[in-house]
Amino acid sequence: MMTLKVNGQENHIDADPDTPLLYVLRDDLKLNAAKFGCGLGQCGSCTVIVDGKAVLSCVTPLLLLEGKQVTTLEGLGTVSAPAPIQRAFMEEQAAQCGYCIAGMMMRAQALLLRNPKPTDAEIRAELQPNLCRCGTHMRILRAVHRAARLMDTADASANERSGQ
Amino acid sequence: MNAPVILDRRRVLQGGGALIVSFSLGRAFAEEGAPAVAGPKRPGSLATAPYLDSWLRIDADGRITAFTGKAELGQGFKTAFQQIAAEQLDVPFEAIRVVTADTQLTANEGYTAGSHSMQDSGTAILNAAAQVRELLVAEAARRLGLAAESLKTDNGAVVDPDGRRITYGELVAADMLHVQAQAQSKLKDPATFKIMGHPVPRVDIPAKVTGGEAYVQDMRLAGMVHARVVRPPSCGAQLVECDGSAVEKLPGVVKVVRDGNFLAVVADKEFQAVKAMNALAAATKWKESPSLPKQDDLLNVITSLPSQGSTILNRSDPSVSGQKTIEAIYTRPYQSHGSIGHPAPWRISSKAR
Repeated sequence: MMTLKVNGQENHIDADPDTPLLYVLRDDLKLNAAKFGCGLGQCGSCTVIVDGKAVLSCVTPLLLLEGKQVTTLEGLGTVSAPAPIQRAFMEEQAAQCGYCIAGMMMRAQALLLRNPKPTDAEIRAELQPNLCRCGTHMRILRAVHRAARLMDTADASANERSGQ
Repeated sequence: MNAPVILDRRRVLQGGGALIVSFSLGRAFAEEGAPAVAGPKRPGSLATAPYLDSWLRIDADGRITAFTGKAELGQGFKTAFQQIAAEQLDVPFEAIRVVTADTQLTANEGYTAGSHSMQDSGTAILNAAAQVRELLVAEAARRLGLAAESLKTDNGAVVDPDGRRITYGELVAADMLHVQAQAQSKLKDPATFKIMGHPVPRVDIPAKVTGGEAYVQDMRLAGMVHARVVRPPSCGAQLVECDGSAVEKLPGVVKVVRDGNFLAVVADKEFQAVKAMNALAAATKWKESPSLPKQDDLLNVITSLPSQGSTILNRSDPSVSGQKTIEAIYTRPYQSHGSIGHPAPWRISSKAR
């Protein structure tokens, strides 16, 4: 039994320590966003954020996550209260089948956390490990730029409210 | 051919258990189970699933459901069908719920492939919705003692010249839509479209960007177990020997399944099934024989296979002279038509059902 912190909540997990995080998220915690694609860390559809960094959850065993903060797409926002990146992907309609999209969004979110205004080239380089078979790439690019603008506006209005 | 559809209740009652409907065209369609084959072909998938209630249901409380046998895989047609049904029925976009590819509820439209969803299923819903609208108008005309031509539809109701409204829910009766479609429908004039042809955000995207239930993989049922298939090491390999006894004792393993060359393992949790699959693969012997074509010469292998050619475009203008012929051959590497998401079939055992 180990404790795993996901989306701000502590969970007691009864699974072997070599169990990849993806299976714990999907099967034990019943979270849908992170997806099984290849199971080999080659497609990126299982990407989540661990302590601010994009991580491939299908090849990250549970034993490496003690005391760390795991964030999945569910932890960012909801349909009625979407996070900027979720709003941006909805507004740009940046999904075809959508199977890769949660992973794309988490890797993009990790980029925006450390680089709030990435260039086109920086977004392309960052998202390079994530595959999309439908060919939604141009919309994904637009959505990440839009998310950056939305986060900027959200920060500005938060600063106004706090008098900064 | 655009005569209104009139439901003849007396003939319905005389049908002796089977519903018989006559149209103003004078042709009575055959009983259920024996779809009429004569006459012009019905449009889209109505040709193979002719009953209107295979495509649309209106409940007494006015709720409207559209059904399609096609699966939404990101094509966006679930949204498009909602637009189509709403437009032809004269209801708001939000008033329609679309049910996709449910073997208990929807018409069997075969594969979802080849960009056929709009032309087959979309055409069926378009025409079915238009004909359902006509049935509702005809029923309102009968109740009001007015000519159908004097009535119009608006926001889920039939409206008479004095502005009196009868809602679809009030008009619909049991089995009213269990009639076979006509070959032609009174479709709306595209110039009057309020919903079709106008951009609508896709209905499936919000769940996909927030971790909602969006895929078969996201379904979790009580008592669900997981299976993994042990794949052969190469195409056509024969399963020679497999000792599953040690694997069956691994934590969580429910069963090792073998059927000829097919080998799989069932476990309580998904990763237990993955581990058991790996252990089982190590305890299995296969007999391999080369059966794949030369991988470094795929172009010649594929182009020398028997093929069926088709002309994509053939236009000519005999009046042009001095033309020059340009010939070119284009090839691209063979690519697997594979998606990232694995096939995730479900089986509900008869005991659990």
